[in-house]
Amino acid sequence: MSESCGNSVADQEALMPRRRKYDKSKTCVKCKENPGNIVIRHAVYCKSCFIPLMTFKFRRALEPYVNAKPDGPRRTALKPQGNLLIGFSGGMGSTVLLDLIHRYYVAPDKALITDEGGSHHPRNERVWKRVIVCYVEVCDAFTAMEDNTNEIRDVVEHYGDMEFVPLRIQDAFDSSWWKSIGRDAIPLMTDLLNEDLHMTQLPEGKTPLESMRSHIASLPTPTARSTSLQTLSRVLVQYTALANECSHLVLGTSLTSLAVSLISGIAYGGGFHVKEDIQEEWNSDQDMGSVPDAPKKDKTRKHGLRIIRPLRDIGMKECGAWTWWMGLKVVGRQGWDWPGAKPGIGSLTKAFIVGLEKDYPSTVSTIVRTCGKLAPKGSVSGKCVSCERPVQTGSQEWRARISLRTRETTSRPTLGNDAIVKSLASHLCYTCQTTFTSRSSRPASIPYPDFNVNPTATPLPIWIGRSPRPQGGDVLEDGGEEFTVFRPMGRGEMRDVVKDFLLTDE
Amino acid sequence: MSLNISVVFQGGLDNLFSKKPSHKLTIPATSDGKPANLTYLIFWLRDNLLSEREELFIQDGTVRPGILVLVNEVEGSGDGTDWELLGEGDYELKSGDEIIFISTLHGG
Repeated sequence: MSESCGNSVADQEALMPRRRKYDKSKTCVKCKENPGNIVIRHAVYCKSCFIPLMTFKFRRALEPYVNAKPDGPRRTALKPQGNLLIGFSGGMGSTVLLDLIHRYYVAPDKALITDEGGSHHPRNERVWKRVIVCYVEVCDAFTAMEDNTNEIRDVVEHYGDMEFVPLRIQDAFDSSWWKSIGRDAIPLMTDLLNEDLHMTQLPEGKTPLESMRSHIASLPTPTARSTSLQTLSRVLVQYTALANECSHLVLGTSLTSLAVSLISGIAYGGGFHVKEDIQEEWNSDQDMGSVPDAPKKDKTRKHGLRIIRPLRDIGMKECGAWTWWMGLKVVGRQGWDWPGAKPGIGSLTKAFIVGLEKDYPSTVSTIVRTCGKLAPKGSVSGKCVSCERPVQTGSQEWRARISLRTRETTSRPTLGNDAIVKSLASHLCYTCQTTFTSRSSRPASIPYPDFNVNPTATPLPIWIGRSPRPQGGDVLEDGGEEFTVFRPMGRGEMRDVVKDFLLTDE
Repeated sequence: MSLNISVVFQGGLDNLFSKKPSHKLTIPATSDGKPANLTYLIFWLRDNLLSEREELFIQDGTVRPGILVLVNEVEGSGDGTDWELLGEGDYELKSGDEIIFISTLHGG
């Protein structure tokens, strides 16, 4: 009979035996011959079996969405409608994604493509004519972060056969960048202390860097700043993909990163976007994807930009093993830390999920699979002008009912006759409303030394200057939209409007 | 008695070790009468090689979650075995071992 509750210091046998991290034996579960090299969610794989397993998961997540219609029972050749853009951050997932795309679809690696064939096989013809790698440098949003653009460029050029498009985070506030991709907008700013988030035109004279830093510094919490940076990066990459006639945008979000993104997104109010966090099809026009007058069954009708995460079934540990065994150089991503700032929801969630994955690796996979089954309630009423994702009907009214609000005695600001006044809040999704307005009981630290923060004049990303199409509004021939603005009218203008109805003194 | 081993840092971990990705080391073969193992090596690295931010490498007596550890029993062979198959921190080091630490923390 064993003695329980023994003194583990004096008696080593009283210690509970450590739980094994793998099932059954140390031999590969696939070939059952080679000794295992790696443990993936309790299953042991040798290096020779691990590599085709990775490529299978990668292709399974990507290839069904390449053609305009998802593949049915009979697989057809891969024929995308446009080009491919790879969102590259320099992190481990992006590095693995870039490597897999290059090995499979740009310069097919015969060692990877073994005994499969058929007309759809990538070795027969290059799938995407143009492959573009887009990198957004965020160092200017921080005070002590290094600029990695040159290292990233070296990584991309080492592969060859791919174009490199570097962006900077402040391009989101740069009219000239917006014009360079063939669009026009009015730079706007908002009053973050006003609950309706009244907008006015941004005065000239601010550089994109100043506007970006002013935007970040004005946000109320560290979570809001991180969320905003992520949104700015994503939307920049989306519009770059559109400008380069891409039909597909792939991101290097691994299973682990996706779990972090889903849980933290739900934590700060993004539950309605759970499906978009995993995969989405995005159109730049504001009424959610319908191309005016296009016949629905037209085979040549272009689909929206498909944003796919092909590594969503591949954990961070598998990515790490891939980088080592393929000899990849990982530039790395520096942490998003501002001096004196407490960790935001994203950082805390990441620490939790990474810790969970170490002890309970299958749970991370369960999180993603469960979130993939969620179908948020409610209907969609347009697209958020900030993050370009669906707006849940009634979110603003619901927020008004559940939150403490203050009512100012003067509801309209005093503006000159030429001012533009429009409420931003009514065109935002719940996540973006929370990002802009949710305040912490503690004052937010100032992220940049000697920086004057003025939340009443917070610059907005340039794409917000494309206001939503009014209900029943006209579409211009070039696919643009009417821009409806509201402004106080002068007495002379008001008289002109009603003059035909005025009674004369006669 | 001492052991000649090499350690490799990847995924940004080299920034914590004087920005050098690989190091050749000579460490004591025993510690407190027991053969040197991976746990001993981790603390030896902290005390002798780590140049900054200990909390990014060690947590709760082992490597921080998110750091993958591979052991190459034949240095330079390019393979490497997950330390979870070798008993993790209890794996006893041998001369000629190559230990690879890969940070997977900055993902995406």
